[in-house]
Amino acid sequence: MPERALEGITVVECGITGAASYAAKLIADLGADVIKVEAPGEGDPARALGPYPKDKPNPEASGTYLYLNTNKRGVTLDISQTKGRDLFDKLLATADVLIHDFAPKQATALGLTYERIHPLNANLIMTSIFPFGAEGPHADYEATDLTLLSAGGWTWLNGWPGHPEMPPLKPYGYQAAYQAGVNGALSTMGALYGRQRGMVAGQHIEISVQACIASILESSLPTWSYMDITAVRWGQRPIHPIDMFECKDGEWIFVLCIEEHQWQRLVELMDTPEWATWEVAANRFVRASNWDALRPFMAEWVATWNAADLYRAAQEKRIPFAPVSTMGSLLDSEHLKARGYFLEVAHPEAGTYRYPGAPYRLGGTPWEIRSPAPTLGQHTAEVLSTIGVSESDLASLKSEGVV
Amino acid sequence: MAGPLAGIRVADFTWVWAGPMCTMQLAHMGAEVIRMETTGRICTVRMLPPWPGGAPNPNASGYFNQYNQGKRSVLLNLQTEEGRDLAKQIVAKSDIAVENFASGIIDKLGLGYEDLRKVKADLVMISMSGYGRIGPESAYVSYGPAQVPMSGLSTLTGYKDWHPMHVGMSYGDPNAGLHAAFAVIAALFHRDCTGKGQYIDMSQWDSSMSVLGEAFLQYQMTGSQPERNGNRVPHMSPHGVFMAAGDDAWISIACRSDDEWRRLTEVMGRPELADDARYRTLADRRAIEDDLEMAIMEWTLAQDPFDAMEALQAAGIPAYPPLRNREVLDNPQLADRDFWVEKEHPVVGTRRHAGIPYRMSETPAEVRSAAPIMGGDNAYVLNELLGLSEAEVTALTERGVIK
Repeated sequence: MPERALEGITVVECGITGAASYAAKLIADLGADVIKVEAPGEGDPARALGPYPKDKPNPEASGTYLYLNTNKRGVTLDISQTKGRDLFDKLLATADVLIHDFAPKQATALGLTYERIHPLNANLIMTSIFPFGAEGPHADYEATDLTLLSAGGWTWLNGWPGHPEMPPLKPYGYQAAYQAGVNGALSTMGALYGRQRGMVAGQHIEISVQACIASILESSLPTWSYMDITAVRWGQRPIHPIDMFECKDGEWIFVLCIEEHQWQRLVELMDTPEWATWEVAANRFVRASNWDALRPFMAEWVATWNAADLYRAAQEKRIPFAPVSTMGSLLDSEHLKARGYFLEVAHPEAGTYRYPGAPYRLGGTPWEIRSPAPTLGQHTAEVLSTIGVSESDLASLKSEGVV
Repeated sequence: MAGPLAGIRVADFTWVWAGPMCTMQLAHMGAEVIRMETTGRICTVRMLPPWPGGAPNPNASGYFNQYNQGKRSVLLNLQTEEGRDLAKQIVAKSDIAVENFASGIIDKLGLGYEDLRKVKADLVMISMSGYGRIGPESAYVSYGPAQVPMSGLSTLTGYKDWHPMHVGMSYGDPNAGLHAAFAVIAALFHRDCTGKGQYIDMSQWDSSMSVLGEAFLQYQMTGSQPERNGNRVPHMSPHGVFMAAGDDAWISIACRSDDEWRRLTEVMGRPELADDARYRTLADRRAIEDDLEMAIMEWTLAQDPFDAMEALQAAGIPAYPPLRNREVLDNPQLADRDFWVEKEHPVVGTRRHAGIPYRMSETPAEVRSAAPIMGGDNAYVLNELLGLSEAEVTALTERGVIK
């Protein structure tokens, strides 16, 4: 019996945007064998993104690549060449899942179409993550994380109210890729379950990154389709307080009351100042309408506290304040330490760092990091030997630039 | 054709956004999701706008209706012994239970995993609290908007030389919901392989940091917190959101290579800039990014953002305006993939909601019905599923159990 939830599942991944890499990481971290196929030479573009130890570029030490590719075996294979593609097809013949995130034109040029791949293995689940989906007027539009966050409607929502001169702002990092990745893992898992139950053999999953973003915009879309109201920076925030303030010690705190009883307890904590009893602060909706006027009072009170003290004082009264964390404060957090959240991962070229750990803990089947991200082509010989490539074959494939 | 979770039933104890986001994913894949609600403590999101006409109505909230599509609703007062007993009867006929109260609350209600596995031995159950079950802050309260600063995303996001920012929506919620749904289906897969259910402890905080992996590595590799830098990134330049002609009009543009920069200068009618030594390489452009962006804005300020998008895309340059909510709803690309869902709802009629970002070829994921009104499925759940008679239901209603 498998100890890990996804033990015995084999995934072939060709990721170039982070989306397929994250999808395959989520699956790998629950026990699947993921074979990551990279182009010979430069490999996954994430190797060129950094961050790097001491800012020194090194394709084996890019933090983005290292994080997204734990628990995978790495193979180099040029699938734009016939010989490379033949070997790739042999890998697919015994795999359960193929995940890629090439744009439609690139995917077609590389033979990554379901029509071509399905006959190789009728049980294979093929998951294609496209910027805008497989078809449609913008399917072949060029895209990056920034333009996809914009096309999906997130960038518009991000900014600071009252500053129309400042541009809509992307959230940090690669959030379009991460969201497409988790949707990729989720839909692939659904297909694996359907196959396990005998409902279906293989199938094709097609994902639009733009649509992944458009499906998580909180109440923004219904705000138009129900009330014809245009979304504003920092969303609608129909209730208050939902805001961020600077404390006495220069740290910031997130001030939040969702339920009215939380506000009542906050008023107590504030020692029931006069302004909090005014009609303009009477309930969460009224506070929102009058927030511009009320905000300075809250700012003044918050500024009398150190952030850590205010966080604890509020939470002791079950008011959902939150720290405005830094990477350093999170790595030092007593709570996260007690959870064993960050995991030390040693990589032969990059060194040892603490990585974010399990997003969820399955009581009966472990979430684990069993191995660090592969070096470029680290497992080429090992993996290709399983499809009949001998050492001498490998030497000639190398000289031809196939691996 | 049925979805891959057809025949699977979910006992849904969730509320607000994170939990409902998870169970909606399961509904999309064909599971029957039974949300237990009570008029004694109405879901916060039902009491948030938008409502048609602006009048508060728990059965008309667009925010609720967006993230509860395809589910059923039964009224059940879990503060009563009989209510909890009926909830257990629902669990006994279910495969999955999902809850997102603060950690430990569900145990105090007598509906924790240890209680529920007694009525359903191979149950898959997930708790999605803010802080997780283990750790000194585990009893703290949290909501999705607080996860943005807690995870470090606020400190990472913002304009250069400004303070930390929010990201415009309660990102912790949908992110946790999607990760949770993946974990639940993985556990279900394992159950079908082994006959064993299990309990999943999820912390929304943990999953919020899972999408920031490279920032934690950067901090450790370079010894410093990544700086807020607006829409700029280290590996592309220009990379930004530029003011365009019109009211609050903008265009996102990203150049991934020197060649794309050259083509941008051609589209702008300023080909001499590409030959200007100050702008030749990525490092050159990064060094004087303020000047570079001013030069681009001289052009964008005179452009309609959608015309600019088409001109830039015709030249193969990633570009897209940051769409506001109504522009997302009118977007031709999303319309082309039939992304929108407009199911008949008894109170709000047919309104436009975001659908599913992925498509499965053989086991289609699908929104099967509009979100339920409170208790809209009482008859189905109480009479058909649990086999109660009309007289029993009347008596339970009188005793305040069904309310």
